[in-house]
Order: sequence, then structure tokens, then C-alpha cells
Amino acid sequence: MSERGLRIQQLRAAAGGTQILKGIDLTVEAGRVHALMGPNGSGKSTLAFSITGHPGFKVESGSVTLDGADVLAMAPDKRAKAGLFLSFQYPAAIPGVKVANFLFAARQALHPGDLPPAKFRALLLEKMDLLDMDPSFMGRYLNDGFSGGEKKRLEMLQLAMLAPKYAILDETDSGLDVDALRAVGESVNAMRASESGKDTGFLIITHYPRILQYVKPDVVHIMIDGRIVKEGDAELAQRIEREGYDKIREETAQIA
Amino acid sequence: MPSATLEKALELRSGRERPGQFWKIDLDAIDFSSLQVAPPSDPQIVAPSKPGLIACGLEAAKRDHAEVFNRAFGSVTGTLNDKFASLSAALCNTGAFVYIPPDQSVDDPIEITYTAKNGALFPHTLVVVDRGARCTIIERIEGESAEAVCGIAEIVAAESATVTYAAEQNLPLESQAFFTRAASPGKDASVTWCVAEVGAALSVSRIDVLVDHPGVDAHLNGFFFPRGDQHVDMVSTVRHNVGESQSQTLIKSAATGRGQARYLGNIRIAPHAQGTEASLRDDALLLSPRAHIDSVPALEIGANDVKAFHGATIGALDENLIFYMESRGIEREAAEKMIALGFFEPVVERFPTGMRERLRAALEAKIA
Ligand SMILES: Nc1ncnc2c1ncn2[C@@H]1O[C@H](COP(=O)(O)OP(=O)(O)O)[C@@H](O)[C@H]1O
Ligand SMILES: [Mg+2]
Repeated sequence: MSERGLRIQQLRAAAGGTQILKGIDLTVEAGRVHALMGPNGSGKSTLAFSITGHPGFKVESGSVTLDGADVLAMAPDKRAKAGLFLSFQYPAAIPGVKVANFLFAARQALHPGDLPPAKFRALLLEKMDLLDMDPSFMGRYLNDGFSGGEKKRLEMLQLAMLAPKYAILDETDSGLDVDALRAVGESVNAMRASESGKDTGFLIITHYPRILQYVKPDVVHIMIDGRIVKEGDAELAQRIEREGYDKIREETAQIA
Repeated sequence: MPSATLEKALELRSGRERPGQFWKIDLDAIDFSSLQVAPPSDPQIVAPSKPGLIACGLEAAKRDHAEVFNRAFGSVTGTLNDKFASLSAALCNTGAFVYIPPDQSVDDPIEITYTAKNGALFPHTLVVVDRGARCTIIERIEGESAEAVCGIAEIVAAESATVTYAAEQNLPLESQAFFTRAASPGKDASVTWCVAEVGAALSVSRIDVLVDHPGVDAHLNGFFFPRGDQHVDMVSTVRHNVGESQSQTLIKSAATGRGQARYLGNIRIAPHAQGTEASLRDDALLLSPRAHIDSVPALEIGANDVKAFHGATIGALDENLIFYMESRGIEREAAEKMIALGFFEPVVERFPTGMRERLRAALEAKIA
């Protein structure tokens, strides 16, 4: 099917009345890892929220399709049901809602009736183990009082438990120590190696190329000021590592 | 009927101003003199059997345990000069007396259920916990018909006693509820109030702890959730009259439909009450545009060597939380429900274990 993939075409979107995304074209292929890199404030999170339907962001024009389905026409929960997942840069804390109950509700919503509670629990424990998470996390309130690293691990746990078709990881690596970073990388790789995750397409949003040492990108996209200004292979990420964004900014400014 | 006492009670003012422009009821205009009063009765009492433990109705208490009963009955609420407590005392037609002898630890809760029917109910529950003793009371206020219920719950805790008193008011929707709940803990005693104001068209209540001895540990937990046309007016007061004591107040409230509410949280630390630690936290959630909650903290701190904390939030459900849940495939309505129930969970978890499921179900029914 030619329509396969998470296709973003000519996407323009605004936040707080200002246009942030100025015509984004980007396709995340099933089963591949795309890295989206760019300096702070370039619009990476805006892209993630526009695709997933956060009410604070307004899509002005363009289209987003997921294996051919019109994502922008759907309510946010329908987008998740269509196979979209976002690992939040700043996950919300929800007091009074326990991790296990929340995950069970989410799993039920996305894959109704496929896992009875006992099996769900076993799977949850297995995935938590992979992420070096203590089983006591299950009984804690969602992200409430979690450290930055704990929140990101919980995002990865949700990714593993919800098995989406396309996963956007918004700066999952920022603020993590080396151990947490490795745990995150290993959990993404384990997912990609699994039967249910081998076709998952990833859009890994990152500021630094650190995480890309653990998860090798097939394609690297560079975003500056709401535009994709350059694309390449993993080597492009290395170049950013060496040179920073300024050089690319200059080059592309000349082209424009 | 001690009519002089009644006359005096009828003349007292409630001292409560009308909160908010949509609040429809004038508490001082309610006509108590023409109420049809229910015939005397005893509540249903379920208590574990323990040596020396007393749990009985008021008649039996007066008859068989006069000495300890008479000394304590009304000793705390009688000092408050409260309109509704005075009315309740003047018209008292039901009640329960619980006494726990020194050093007796009672694990299973003592359950007292008042059921309103055939007229207005004026219950008075007195709990006397002797030195070093420990117990948990669960009080339920229910109704077979819509009535006015004007009651008192009173705790007299001796030195080093520990008592938890949990009350669930779940009267039929057309009822009116007026409750005065007051505790007097002794030195090093620990008292915990857990109050759920669930039912009735009008719920007016106060929770008081009089800290007159050092080493007291007081906890005031409560929640309410008016929906439809329900009105709730709750006042909590901790009087730190001596120092070296601590108190924690936690109140969670939500309102939906045209639900109206006011919460007034008082912390009074007397000038010589050094070494007091008091915290007050109240969070209010507005779930509809016509719902209204006035949340007023009032800290009066007379001493300088104290720790006093106050935190309050009020607002609608946070769109970011809703979106977070939606992004996981949970529908908006279900997400809102989970978040609102979760909002109450920290206070629900302070209630005795056996009450929690019922309370969660009651909250869930309100959101639906
Ligand atoms: N809710 C908002 N209201 C107004 N401006 C916003 C909002 N969210 C983001 N922006 C602005 O949009 C730009 C891009 O932000 P963002 O997408 O968060 O960038 P990145 O994730 O690449 O760091 C920034 O200039 C930021 O200030
Ligand atoms: Mg960002």
C-alpha cells in the first residue's frame, strides 16, 4: 500500500495565535526510526502535539495521515486508537490515579479485551523489569512526585504496553542519566525486535544526539524555525554533534 | 421538652453569611420551631465485644453509666455556643454513647447508623476514649424519608488516647443536614475526623478540634460534592490554645450542575501556643459553569515560633491532564471521570478501609 506510513504534508500549525510550523513535510515509515533534531524552540513539540491533537495547538493547513487514515479529523483518543503514541516531554501528573489502573484502562481502550487482568499484570511486570522499574510503581499515583527519570521510564513502559503503530518520543532522553538513557534505548530496541513492535515506526525527537547512540536512526530530519531544513542518514546526527546547529542554520538561510 | 433551652437555641444566629450570589438559602431563616420531631429511638449500633467497652443508646447510657456519661455529655459542643448544636441539644431524640476503657485497643470499627424517618432527627453521639485507649467509629446518617437531621458528634479523648471518627452523611436528596462535630483531645492524644457530606439538599456542618493540651495530633479530613441543586456549607476550626501540638486539615471538594458550596477553614494559634505545627490544604474542583465553591482559609497566628502551612487550589479540570489520558486512547468523558475521582482519592484513602468503596461509588454516581 502506497499510503503506508505516518505522512505529514505541508503542515502549518499555530500556538497562542502565532504560526510555529511553517509547512512541514515528513513521512515516518513503518518499522523505521526517524530522528527529528533541532534547537530549542524550533517547533518539535508543536509538531508532536499537532499530530496527536492537543487542544492548545491549532492546525491551520496541511494533512496528517496514518496508513491512509485522516488523523486530523479524529479526536485525540481516536488517534491513539488508530495507532499513534506520544511520549511526552513533560508528562502530566495525575494524583489519585494509580499507574496500574491507568495502564489497564489504556490497554483496554486500545486493544479491547485482548489481555485478561492476570495476563496484563504479568506483561506489566515483565516490561517494568526491562526498564529497571520497581513493581511498587504500579501502586503509585501517575507521575505524582516522580523524578524526571521515573517519568520518562513510565512513558517507555506505556509505549511497551500499548504497542502503537507509530510512536513519537518527545525528548525522552533529556534530563536522563546514563543508566536511564540506556534503559530507554534498550526498551525501544526490545520493542523493535519483538513481533508486535517490529513494524512500529518511530519519530525520536531530540535536542542532543546522545540517545541515537543507543537507537540507530534510519533517517535524520533537522528542524529550524518551524521548517525541515535538512535530511540525511545517521551521519547527519554526528555532524550536529560536532558542529551544533548554527552552521546548518547559516547554510540553509542562504538557500532560502 | 426543655423549652427555655429551645427558645434560646432558636434565637441564636448561625453566624454564617451567604456565600456567593447563587446561594439560595438563608440559614437564619430556616424555621425549626414548626418541625415535626420524630419519636425517640436508638440508632443501630454494631460493636466488637471487648472487656469494659460500652456502646449503647442514650437511655441506657443515662441509666447504666451515669457517672462517666454525665461528665462528658455536651462538655465539648456545649462550649461552642452554636445555633445548630444548641438546637440539637434542646431537641435530642436519639444518640449513642461509646466508652473505651484505659489502654484498651479496639481494632474493629464501632458502627453507628442513624436512619431518619417519621420526623426530624436530633442525634447526639458521644465517644469517650480513656487513657491510652484506641478505637475507630464509623457513623452513617441515612434516611428512609426526607427529613431535617440536626446532630452532634462529640469526642472526649483522654491522655494518649487515639480515636478516628468517620462520618458519612448520605441522606435523601430533599433532606436537610446540620452537624456539629467537635473533639477535645487530652495530652498526647490523637484525634482524626473523616467527614463525607454526600447527601441532602442542604448540608451545614462544622468540625472542631480544641487543642488544650500539648502533644496533640489532630487530623481533619473531609470532602463534599454538591450536584444538581445541592448546597454545602462546611467550616472547620482547629484552636491551638496551647503549643507543642500539631494539626493537619485536608478538604477536597467538587461541584457540578448548580451545586453551591462554601468551605471556611480556620486555624487559630493562640499567642502563647509556641511550637505549634498546623497545616491546612483545600482543593476545589469546578465541573460545570454554574457550579460555585467559595473556599476561604482563615489563619490567625498569634505565636511566633510556629509552623503554619496553607495551600489551596480551585479550578476546572486541567486540559493537559485530560489530553494526556486521551492520548492513551481513553475517551474524554472517561478521562474526566478518572481525573475527578482521582482528585478525591487522597482524602478517601484517609477514611477507614471498610468505608472507601462505598464512598468511591457515591462519588462516581455524582460524576455520572
Ligand atoms: N502554548 C503556546 N503558546 C504560545 N507559544 C508557544 C506555545 N507552545 C510553544 N510555543 C512557542 O512555539 C515555539 C516552538 O516551541 P516548541 O514546539 O516547544 O519547540 P521545541 O519543542 O522545538 O523546543 C517556541 O517559540 C515556543 O515559545
Ligand atoms: Mg520540545
